[in-house]
Amino acid sequence: MNFLHPRVYLSLAALSLLLIIPFSTGSNFVFHLFILICSYAALATAWNIVGGFAGQLSLGHAVFYGAGAYVSTLLMLHLNLSPWIGMFVGAAVSIVLAVIISWPCFRLRGPFFALATIAVLEVIRLLVINQHDFTGGAAGLAVPLKIGAEWMLFRARWPYLLIAFGFLVITLLVSWKIKHSRLGYYLIAVREREDAAQAVGVNAVKVKLIAVVLSAALTSLIGSFHAMYLTFIEPGAMFSLELSIQIAMFALIGGLGTLSGPLIGTVIVLPLAELARGWLGDAGSGVHGLVYGLVLVAFVLTIPQGLVGRFGERVSRWVDKLPGSRTSSPKPKVSIRAAHLSTTIGAPILVAENLHRYFGGLHATNDVSLSVKEGEIVGVIGPNGAGKTTVFNQLSGFIQPSSGVVKVRTVDGQWISPSSPAEFAIAGIGRTFQIVQPFADLSVCENIMLGAFMHTRDPEEARQIACEVAALTDLTQLLDSRAKNLTVGGMKRLEMARALATRPRVLLLDEVMAGLNPTDVTKAIEIIRRVRATGVSVLMIEHIMQATMTLSDRIVVISSGAVLMDGDPQTVVSNPEVIEAYLGKEYNHATA
Amino acid sequence: MKIMPWAINGVAALTLSASLTAYADVQIGALYPLSGGLALLGDESYRGLEIAVAERNAAGGLKGEPIKLVKADAVDAAQAVSAARRLTSSENVAAVFGSYSSALSFAATQVTELAGIPFFELGAVADNITERGLQNVYRSNPTARDFAQGTITAITKLVAPQLKVNPTSLKIAIIHEDALYGTTIAAFQKELALKEGLQVVEVLPYSAKAVDLSSLILRLKGAGADVVLQTSYQNDTTLFFRQIREAGFAPKAVIGAGGGYSMQDTVKVVGAENIEGVLDVDFPQFQTNEAGAPGIAAFAEAYRARYGSEPRSGHSLINYVGAKVFLDAMAEAKSLDAEDVREAVKAIDIPIGRTAANIGAKFGDNGQNERAQTTIMQWQQGVLKTVYPPAAAVAQATLASQP
Amino acid sequence: MEIFLQLLLNGILLGGTLAIISIGLTLIFGIVRVVNFAHGEFLMIGMYAVYLMNQHFGVHPYVAIIPAVALLFMLGAGMQRFIIQPLLAAEGHIQIFATVGVSIALMNAALMVFGADVMTVNNPSGLGTGSVGIGPLRASTGQLLTFAVSLALVGGLHWFLHNTFLGRAVRATAQHRNAALLMGVNVNRIYIFAFGLGCACLGLASGMIAPQYPVFPTFGTFFVLTAFVIVVLGGLGSLSGALIGSILIGVVDSLAGYYIAPDLKEVVYFMIFLAILIFRPTGLFGAGRGSE
Repeated sequence: MNFLHPRVYLSLAALSLLLIIPFSTGSNFVFHLFILICSYAALATAWNIVGGFAGQLSLGHAVFYGAGAYVSTLLMLHLNLSPWIGMFVGAAVSIVLAVIISWPCFRLRGPFFALATIAVLEVIRLLVINQHDFTGGAAGLAVPLKIGAEWMLFRARWPYLLIAFGFLVITLLVSWKIKHSRLGYYLIAVREREDAAQAVGVNAVKVKLIAVVLSAALTSLIGSFHAMYLTFIEPGAMFSLELSIQIAMFALIGGLGTLSGPLIGTVIVLPLAELARGWLGDAGSGVHGLVYGLVLVAFVLTIPQGLVGRFGERVSRWVDKLPGSRTSSPKPKVSIRAAHLSTTIGAPILVAENLHRYFGGLHATNDVSLSVKEGEIVGVIGPNGAGKTTVFNQLSGFIQPSSGVVKVRTVDGQWISPSSPAEFAIAGIGRTFQIVQPFADLSVCENIMLGAFMHTRDPEEARQIACEVAALTDLTQLLDSRAKNLTVGGMKRLEMARALATRPRVLLLDEVMAGLNPTDVTKAIEIIRRVRATGVSVLMIEHIMQATMTLSDRIVVISSGAVLMDGDPQTVVSNPEVIEAYLGKEYNHATA
Repeated sequence: MKIMPWAINGVAALTLSASLTAYADVQIGALYPLSGGLALLGDESYRGLEIAVAERNAAGGLKGEPIKLVKADAVDAAQAVSAARRLTSSENVAAVFGSYSSALSFAATQVTELAGIPFFELGAVADNITERGLQNVYRSNPTARDFAQGTITAITKLVAPQLKVNPTSLKIAIIHEDALYGTTIAAFQKELALKEGLQVVEVLPYSAKAVDLSSLILRLKGAGADVVLQTSYQNDTTLFFRQIREAGFAPKAVIGAGGGYSMQDTVKVVGAENIEGVLDVDFPQFQTNEAGAPGIAAFAEAYRARYGSEPRSGHSLINYVGAKVFLDAMAEAKSLDAEDVREAVKAIDIPIGRTAANIGAKFGDNGQNERAQTTIMQWQQGVLKTVYPPAAAVAQATLASQP
Repeated sequence: MEIFLQLLLNGILLGGTLAIISIGLTLIFGIVRVVNFAHGEFLMIGMYAVYLMNQHFGVHPYVAIIPAVALLFMLGAGMQRFIIQPLLAAEGHIQIFATVGVSIALMNAALMVFGADVMTVNNPSGLGTGSVGIGPLRASTGQLLTFAVSLALVGGLHWFLHNTFLGRAVRATAQHRNAALLMGVNVNRIYIFAFGLGCACLGLASGMIAPQYPVFPTFGTFFVLTAFVIVVLGGLGSLSGALIGSILIGVVDSLAGYYIAPDLKEVVYFMIFLAILIFRPTGLFGAGRGSE
């Protein structure tokens, strides 16, 4: 972390205000307020790792909070264990809980994941109440009042503030580290387009699990701390749906998926509600919650991307004008080109043997066998609906063949049969999609970086690779634009670039030239040639005959799910069966 | 961008100045559930405290200063914690009185103990409130154990003789709300029942916020329960009575342990004819013999004068009596510091039957009043009459008609 | 055996109550494709409306159904028009937050306006309370009536959706929004109507259950999670699924409350919920549009 950069020192200064203000006023109420702010901001930041970065909206996060609180309190009660140690045990329990809950639920989308997390929260709460002999039940547990730093129990307020602040700093650090690491990029990719992420080798489940585990552990630690602060815990307050919603709300208001968003959201909304509750006293029961509800709805309707999402860029630009931002870091030396020429040019590198695929009664792929030699460009043509993309999907792991085998030769000469998209990608098969799937909100550079991350963990290296690939695919001018702002041609090149950044040995191109104007087609042809020159074999589905003819060393014709013909371009194109398949019997007779 | 810090500073300044001006009076915190499901009885309890404070102020206040009550509403334990925190820090009270609900008391006393402020419990019954070794928590009212004992005595001394059967032949079911109040009383009921050799066929907790008790009632029916002991707040009591009628379940006796069973409002909703003959063990209520409770009539008079209606339950009475005892002690104490207050409380010595609520006052090391007890009452023609102990009784228990 | 039959009867009748509450939810999801987290709070508002009319005008809750239905229709339509409609194009989690925000706001507004006290309606006529005997079993009259009404409701809605022009437009929009747009259907108006209709069902529910249940601000939370379980179990968007799901869950509730423990019955059906979400997300009768 560069301490001279204005973003860094300004943030640190702002953070320290959280300590300075309460200490300077000395009022107990202000201390209490700031302890709440720090704890809730930490909770919201931890939640953001799952809800913001990974995009899984968990509305039952309090289950980890409560687990931390109960575990550390029970350990203190029965085993006389200090909460400083007990909280790590609590975190371990929460991690186990997190894995058990999340694994089956990850494939649920949006509201259903949220509902599932709520259901889990309720189940745990009811079980805790039911097992009252062990947990004290609905009556709750009183924390034994052993005053002292080793028990995290103090008469004064300020030690609690320091501890809460400490947790906040830790969660912010973890969040920051994730955001600027490969994991962060992967999380965003999975959140945006899980399929496309898998095609660049991201193991979506593993990545989401890591996020959940980190988030659960942090949330649990704060739960343990809160148990000591409140000195009394009961299931309703600890496994509280309201709490889960609150922390999600703070993150949303600040900006989901941003670093400072949850903290800012908490700082703005929480004091409002607490003060309202304090001022209005008994008349005010409900005001607190009403404020939350109204603020939430207002924000969602007006600034759904949150404060940081909306104003963040403007503020960053202003902040960057302060002294210290012009620093450059040394650029690592990486390249996508192979270190030396491959000695196995011409040997098969991707082989499909007797592939069959049924969809119910439809025999979509009928005994397809083909092989791609290293350094080749193979064109795949055939009428619409012939099943070309289905074959591609089987060659890249997105569909499993009903029978038959797909083999890939790895760098060291081994033949393997990968089974998932991620495995295929790691084995060296890169692919583009027929319907372009860019990560719309990321920049072109970030999109390409995602591909590069398959072979490096370091964002800087990935950036280097992205620049190189961009040069190869004519995207250098567009590196900083948002992917969603590209033209069709640009998006197609981006698809290729992202696949290229994964340093594939075989590149599967699915109609990359569909919808391009003639100039773009020429550019695309150039790019594919350049790509082959770097040592990548190409298998391309294309309808644009001009491109297919100029580029292909060999053409494979697929019709009605089966391979009709496989040979050099001229022979294939003048073959009457092929013409009939494409254009129909009448045409054949017409020309005959 | 950071305008919030300025606002926070402004607020802090305001709160500080607010607390400074309060030093003229003696501030006493009153922590009760004034809203929520317990609001009615919480408010009733608070009224007892209010009357006691008014009487003390009329007699000169504390150390020459008038007492100012600072109300703090808490619906659940979490709110009790923040309310206690607020009272002990920004409001700077000398002591906190409360709380009617065991859950609230348990939570709040954790905070007041850490803050070194005395907490006077006037109505919550869970025994463990005074069993944590805390130095500054005192309680004037009877505990859950006393309540449980009362219900068992009701079975052995009233129900069984009336039904002309051996108490051990009766099948007893214990149902209770699952928070501190219900759980502690139920646990003692089971323990004491088994000690007496009685048959306990079911012990069923349920959530006080339940909207449907029909499966539970079916369980009772299936077990053939003759006597049902219920510990409940108001809503679950009315729900229970409605649903046993709907299910056609008519146990031979129903005995409550305070809460919703002592409230006029319950009778209003349930209907006097449906609650006829139901027994209730609780703090002494108003249909109690003056001989056993000197001052009870005067209190009822003062209540009517202040609030313009009859007391809604006996909670105001027990809170009043306890508050009076503690306030008198505080007036005698050397100062209002926790240490001196403790000394003064330990010095209290009032025989049983000498207060308006029939209890005496002598506090053990754990702060619990050792001379507190419950009375057994019965709903007769829509009025809750004391039927046991004989000294305080105004009517005889009859089991002629049960719901 | 008698106990078991009684439990079964209790469960089935409870299912009737749950059905009226859940139908609105499945309707809204099936058509507008929004999960309305504020569903329980709309029910709560309906109950308060019924309570107020009962207190001030002395009407029986069943009579108060008509204004309650109208009120809730307007509230639902309003929610769709002003809160959901602007967010239709937004990402899923934004919509969730919106309905969650409405839910919190409504619950606390009720808390402020009515206080947390529990209110019951005055029912001097006793209609809707009390019970009748069916052989050796007993059935609560209120629940019997509610069950009958729920069957009528499902039947009525089914007829409406299949036999009227508006109903067909609604089904078309549910199946393919863009195609319906191309056919000249004013999709936004259909959504507003659908949301209103879903909430109007809650108005009906609130009137029917008012004699049996008291009302308080957090009342909605008791039923909303159960309604979600039912709707997912039955398959989102399926009316018959909602009815059958309700009866199933009602029976599970009743049996679990007796054979396991009254305080654990929710655990049982939440476990069922999680199992459905994981293993068969389209539900029992789902039209293939599941939770994935």
